[in-house]
Amino acid sequence: MSVVPVRTEALSKVFYDESRGEVRAVDSVDITCSPGEIFGLLGANGAGKTTTLRMLSTVLRPTSGQAWLMGHEVRDAPERVRENLGFYSASTALYPKITPRETLRFFARVNRYPRRRIEARVDELIERFSLESYADTRVEKLSGGMKQKVSIARTVAHDPPVLIFDEPTVALDVLNAIELREIIARLRSEGKAILFSTHVMSEAEQLCDRIGIIHHGAILATGTLDQLREATGRHYLEEVFVHYAGMRGKIGT
Amino acid sequence: MELRQIWTLYVHELRSALRERSIVVFSIIIPLVLYPGLLWAGLAAFSFVEGQAERIALEVGVHGLPDRHQSLLDTLDVADRLSAQEWVGSSEEGREEISRGGLDVLVEFVPPDDEGGALEHNFRLRITYHGARDRSRTAREAVESVVDSYREGWIDEARQELGVDAAVWADFRVIQDDLTTAEEGTRFLLGLMVPFLTLIVVALATFYPAIDATAGERERGTWETLMTVAAPRANVATAKYLYVATLGAVGGLLNMIALTLSLRWIFQPVLGAEGQDMIQGGIPLGAFPIIAAGTVLLGLFVAAGMLIFAVFARNFKEGQSMVTPFYIAVILPAIFLQSPDIEFTTALALAPVVNVALLIREAIMGSIPPLQSALTLGSMAVCVALSVVFAQWVMRREEVLVGSQRGGLGGFLRRRVRGRRREA
Repeated sequence: MSVVPVRTEALSKVFYDESRGEVRAVDSVDITCSPGEIFGLLGANGAGKTTTLRMLSTVLRPTSGQAWLMGHEVRDAPERVRENLGFYSASTALYPKITPRETLRFFARVNRYPRRRIEARVDELIERFSLESYADTRVEKLSGGMKQKVSIARTVAHDPPVLIFDEPTVALDVLNAIELREIIARLRSEGKAILFSTHVMSEAEQLCDRIGIIHHGAILATGTLDQLREATGRHYLEEVFVHYAGMRGKIGT
Repeated sequence: MELRQIWTLYVHELRSALRERSIVVFSIIIPLVLYPGLLWAGLAAFSFVEGQAERIALEVGVHGLPDRHQSLLDTLDVADRLSAQEWVGSSEEGREEISRGGLDVLVEFVPPDDEGGALEHNFRLRITYHGARDRSRTAREAVESVVDSYREGWIDEARQELGVDAAVWADFRVIQDDLTTAEEGTRFLLGLMVPFLTLIVVALATFYPAIDATAGERERGTWETLMTVAAPRANVATAKYLYVATLGAVGGLLNMIALTLSLRWIFQPVLGAEGQDMIQGGIPLGAFPIIAAGTVLLGLFVAAGMLIFAVFARNFKEGQSMVTPFYIAVILPAIFLQSPDIEFTTALALAPVVNVALLIREAIMGSIPPLQSALTLGSMAVCVALSVVFAQWVMRREEVLVGSQRGGLGGFLRRRVRGRRREA
């Protein structure tokens, strides 16, 4: 039986804030993601997307529930989880003083990519992401678009089966955002399981195979775009989102 | 713990750091060049100021001068830097003039006491000066020296009148014999300077790397990138720690070598060309292993401390303010170590940082006390181990990892205690 690349069961995170007391940032989240699939986490700012993805990447420890990446539980085997994971977000920057080639070499090595194949892998990534002309220039001297490419190459340097993109287009201009989405689509076609969080509805519509609508830390609905449309009777994802978020609001009151 | 992975992380930290201008300056250039240069400049400036001051005449007033001792006034007037004349005002007016700065010293002849009065023309002198004024203090020293010579001459005359043989009289003189060789004198100078500067250099050389490895990573946005690599947190913390400690220890050792090699040049402004022979040799070769061990332990300890304080900072500015108290605590003992009278006791051998500085001093002087050395190395090793364990524990906490922690180490510990109470 093949392993589901990403699976969570009642995954929850509670923070303690001195002024607000206990804050339930993520509430019993159940999601899965299969090979060659992009699962989109769609939610407003502060909905719990980043906290969920940070728990999956072992940066945060779940308060309760469980999560597995390639069969490894995030609390029991965090290093094994990270070995199988490439994490990209607007806050995962590159080291400015080293070159793209050194960056790729470092991340492949530290993520335990087979040593004898590292140089070949670095060359392959440089060619694949068209980094040749600046592969040996320090990152600090590169443009935003160049850095973005190096950053994605860094994310996949150790060829992980699972990729997490946490609001990756948030700081990008239109052209770079389009290019990034194309790269992510290519990675899906290579069989990667991809978790993609965004608050931009059009992005989720274009890219995601399945969408989970997250609001106030809880998943309100999960399905393909067609399934969500059918369930709500709304055509546009924005309307679908408002429908679920509104329902939750009414339940809450 | 996977050594190969730690090595990968360590080399990565070091590579980035050695391409960072501020780190190279503070950890390598300053220990190697700036401190010897600053010392030279300081001594040259001191020598220049002294030279300028020597050209200014110091005003001496002589009050109540008896005829028999007129020659004292002439002797004072021709003495180097002194300009003496008879003070015609009252004693009180002389004091007021000294307070105003118009006069540096007032020399007053006062009547001898009963026993002193037995000898004809015997005299007593009162020297009035202003202790808070450098010129006045210098004038007093110069006047004292002249008066001592004059007094000796006068006593010699009295001896002749009394018919005492000069050879017998000479036996009462104090003869001083300094056994210090030039090598020992050089070691004494190095023993005063090297421990003091080693503490400063190690603290300074670890200061920026510690902030750069923590707050700097957060500010650049690379902290989260690093937290998602497949390395255990302990490996990341160990690599960062070793990187900071390396720069601290290297800075300390470079500074020591630089001072030894440039000692003649540093003291050239005050000793002049003829005095250069007073600087001979340097740190004894046999002392290097123990000095190196002490410096490395100092680097390891200070690096752990710096990281413990810096890891809570979210940006460079916060990092500087959080680490500065520890930086001051490290270099504070250096001030007290400037006194050569401090003995390297067994109690001091257990005091972290101070013990290493004293061990370095003793080793440079050529005496390595075995008990104190063993206690120093042992206690520092224990301190290093405890601080590393603590630093690793802190760096594994979630609030520290994600940077949600507000405030420094004190706030973190308070919140942990409160959290425990809540759980209980």
